[in-house]
Amino acid sequence: MKTRIKEFRAKQNLTQEDLARKVGVRRETIIFLEKGKYNPSLQLAHNIAKALKTKIDELFIFNKN
Amino acid sequence: MKTKTNAKRNQKIRLFAIAVLSLFVILTGALLSYSSFKKGEFSGGILGIVIVIIILGFAVFIYRRGNRDLKEGYPLQDERSKRVMQKAMATTFLVSLYLLLAIGWLSEDLIKFRDVSQATGVAIGGMAVLFLAFWIYYNKTGV
Repeated sequence: MKTRIKEFRAKQNLTQEDLARKVGVRRETIIFLEKGKYNPSLQLAHNIAKALKTKIDELFIFNKN
Repeated sequence: MKTKTNAKRNQKIRLFAIAVLSLFVILTGALLSYSSFKKGEFSGGILGIVIVIIILGFAVFIYRRGNRDLKEGYPLQDERSKRVMQKAMATTFLVSLYLLLAIGWLSEDLIKFRDVSQATGVAIGGMAVLFLAFWIYYNKTGV
């Protein structure tokens, strides 16, 4: 899975720390999410999308393979 | 606001409980080491010291990190760290079955345990070390 969290975060002028505090997770979780090494729960994906003022399907790109 | 304060207080209590529990485990390890040395069993004594050092290092790391994160406004645990913990626990359980089997087989010929309680102690210590290793691995590689 690829994410566009970094791109949307930059648009909102948010650091990883700011985003982590906004959605109530640890910093490492945001780092792993941006690297595509962690699949978040639907709840967390929704919270991140809300914090970055976008939609879940614009934020996360799922590979069919 | 009140819920946020309560959550912060609960996390502080949790961190304190981790510190107290770690202290008990360290004291138990130290006692095991002391009694082994007293009986002249150096391998048991050294094993106790190794367990105490590993758990002490891990506890200090967890406590310092938790304290810093609480001050900076991050939660002690989130869904990723919970998943890492669950995966590390599951893998430790699976691998420890083989560890227990190995201890059972090796105790016949290669390793001579004093009694069942010593073999159990080694198995529990081994499980703790395995858990630590898997926790570090999953924390680095992701789940």
